[in-house]
Amino acid sequence: MESPYLLRQARIERITRLTEKERLFRLVFEDDKTLGHVPGQFIMLSIFGAGEAPISVSSPPDTRNEFEICVRVVGSLTNVLHTLLKGSTVGIRGPYGKGFPVKEIENKDILLIAGGIGLVPMRSLIKTILLKRGAYGRITLLYGVKSPEDILFKDELDEWSKVPDFDLRITVDKPHPLWKGHTGVVTRYLPELKIDAERTAAVIVGPPVMYKYVIMGLGEKRIAGHEIFLSLERRMKCGIGKCGHCQINSVYICQEGPVFRLSDIRRLREAI
Amino acid sequence: MDYRFLPKKGLSLFVDGLLKDFKVYGPVKMDGFPVYEEVSSAKELLLMHSPSHITPKKYLFPQRETLLRFKTGEKPQVEHAADADNQVLFGIHPCDIHAIRLLDRVFAYGTPDVNYLRRREKTIIIGTECLPDKFCFCRSVNTMTAANDFDLFIHDIGAGFLVKIGTEKGKELLFRHVKTRKATIKEISKLVEFHKKKESMFTASINAEPSTLPLIYSGSYDSPVWEEIGKICYGCGSCNLVCPTCYCFDVRDDISLNMKDGERYRVWDGCLLEDFAKVAGGHNFRKTRGERLRHRFNRKFQFQVDKFGGLFCVGCGRCSRACLVNINIVEITNKLIEERETGKKE
Repeated sequence: MESPYLLRQARIERITRLTEKERLFRLVFEDDKTLGHVPGQFIMLSIFGAGEAPISVSSPPDTRNEFEICVRVVGSLTNVLHTLLKGSTVGIRGPYGKGFPVKEIENKDILLIAGGIGLVPMRSLIKTILLKRGAYGRITLLYGVKSPEDILFKDELDEWSKVPDFDLRITVDKPHPLWKGHTGVVTRYLPELKIDAERTAAVIVGPPVMYKYVIMGLGEKRIAGHEIFLSLERRMKCGIGKCGHCQINSVYICQEGPVFRLSDIRRLREAI
Repeated sequence: MDYRFLPKKGLSLFVDGLLKDFKVYGPVKMDGFPVYEEVSSAKELLLMHSPSHITPKKYLFPQRETLLRFKTGEKPQVEHAADADNQVLFGIHPCDIHAIRLLDRVFAYGTPDVNYLRRREKTIIIGTECLPDKFCFCRSVNTMTAANDFDLFIHDIGAGFLVKIGTEKGKELLFRHVKTRKATIKEISKLVEFHKKKESMFTASINAEPSTLPLIYSGSYDSPVWEEIGKICYGCGSCNLVCPTCYCFDVRDDISLNMKDGERYRVWDGCLLEDFAKVAGGHNFRKTRGERLRHRFNRKFQFQVDKFGGLFCVGCGRCSRACLVNINIVEITNKLIEERETGKKE
C-alpha cells in the first residue's frame, strides 16, 4: 500500500506575473506522465518546509506532462511559492475532486460567471470548451473584479472576446478614471443578458459572498437548479476525505466537490 | 464464542509474556486520573474503572504523526514514514472498542490511510469491563457491551478471569503464554450478571432510541440550543481532544534549522477551534461557537452516520467530563428530543 501523501515532483518552467498578487506557474512533471485532470479539479501543492495547500488547475486537460496553476499571494505557502524561481521543484498530489460536467453541458448555451480568482479554474473550463467550440452554443462570460488592475489573463480575455458567439463582459467594483467598461457587481448585468433558459447551463466560481446573489439572479432568469454548477471553496488539509476541514454536514468538498450541481446542495445548510 | 478461565496469578504471567514481543499499553492512575500509559507489569493495570481522560485512540492515531520525511535542495528527496511497533492495548473498555471499530472504517474507506492501517494491523486489542460514572451513557447508544472487534476480552470474576476469545490471533497469544481451561457455564454467567449490574448503575441516559437520533438532530438545525451553548462555550476544543471518534487533523511541516531536511506530519485538530473552517482569504465558514458546536454534535449523531452508518457517539461521556463550562452531550440531546416532542422551541 502506498502512502496517499507521497508526491510527484514538478519543475517550474515558466512564471508569468498577471497582477501584483497573482502569478501563473507552468509546471512540468519530472516523470513523463500527464496530470490527468478535468476542468474544475484541484491539486495539493507542496513546498517542503512551507507545507501544502489546495490549488485549482488553470489549464485544460493536456496529453503532455505539464499544467498550469495561477496563485494569489494569500497565505504562508503561497507567499513562499511567489519567491521561487524558474527551475525550482515543487511537490504535487492529485488531481482531486469532481470537476465541471464538460460533456453534459455540450450543445447548450454556456453562461459563465466568475468573481476575482474564480476565473482561475474557469479558465481551464473555457479553454476546454474552446478546443471543441462547435459542440457548445453561445458562450457568455461575466467576470467581476475589484479594480481594473485585478483583471487576470487580459490577453486571453481579448482573444476569447473575438471568438464567434462569445459575449464577454468585465465589470469592476472600483473603477479608476480611465476605466471605460462596466462597473459594479456582476449581478447587475444579469437582467440585461439575453438567455434562453431552456438551453442554458450556468457555471459560477467566485468568493463565498458572491454565490447567494448570483443564484438569486439566475433564478430570475429561470435557469433550473440542476443546470447551475458551482465550485465551493473550503479549507483542506488532506484532499482524500479524512482530515475533516472541508466537511459541510455529511458532504466532503474534496470528494463530492468542489464542483456541485446547485439542485444537489441548495438544501445543504452552510453550503452557500 | 469461546470462553476460557484464567487463574488469578495467570494475569501477570500473561502480561509478562506479551511484554516479550509487544509494547503494552493499559489504564493506570496518574495524578489521580485514569489514563492509558505504557506498562511493564500487570500490577500497574487498573482493570475496573470509569473511562480514561484521554482515549486509547492515541496509540492508533497519534496526536502527532510523521507522514513523510524529506530532504530539500535542487532535487528534493522524500520518503514515506510509517513507524509502527507491535503493540497490545490492554484493558480497552467496550465504548472504546466500538470507537476503534468506527475509526477502522473511516481510515479504510476511499483512499486508505496507510499510516493508520499499518499501525492497526500491528495492534492487539484486549478488552475489559468498566464502571460507569455520572457522565457515562453507553447504555443509551448500544455500546455498553462489545460482542466483537477485540482479540481478547478479560473480565475479573473474583477467583480469576473470564477470557472471551475474539480472534485466532488473540487465542494463540493466550495459549502461548498461560494455561487456561474452558470456562464453566457458571463462570460465563458472571459476565451476564455483571452486565445486569452495570446496566442499573447509569445515572445519565438519552430519552430516545438511538436509531431515532439522526432524525432528531437533522430536525434541530435551527434549535435555539446551539446559540445558547455557543454563548458559554470557550471554543477550547477539549471535547475534540478527548473524543474517541474525533479524527480531524491538520498537516504541517517541520524543517531543521539548516533547512536541509525535515518532515511532514499530521496533528490532531478540532472543529471547535476558531480557525478550523477558515480559508486563506480570511473567510470563516463556521464563525460562531454555536455553529461549531452544532457541527460537532451533528458529526456524532447525523453527518458521519450518513457516511459510515451507525452513531459516531459511543457514550463514553468524555466530552462532558472535559468541558470547562459543563456543556453536557446527554443534556443537550435530551433537550433536542424534548423540543421535537413538544414542538416547542423556547
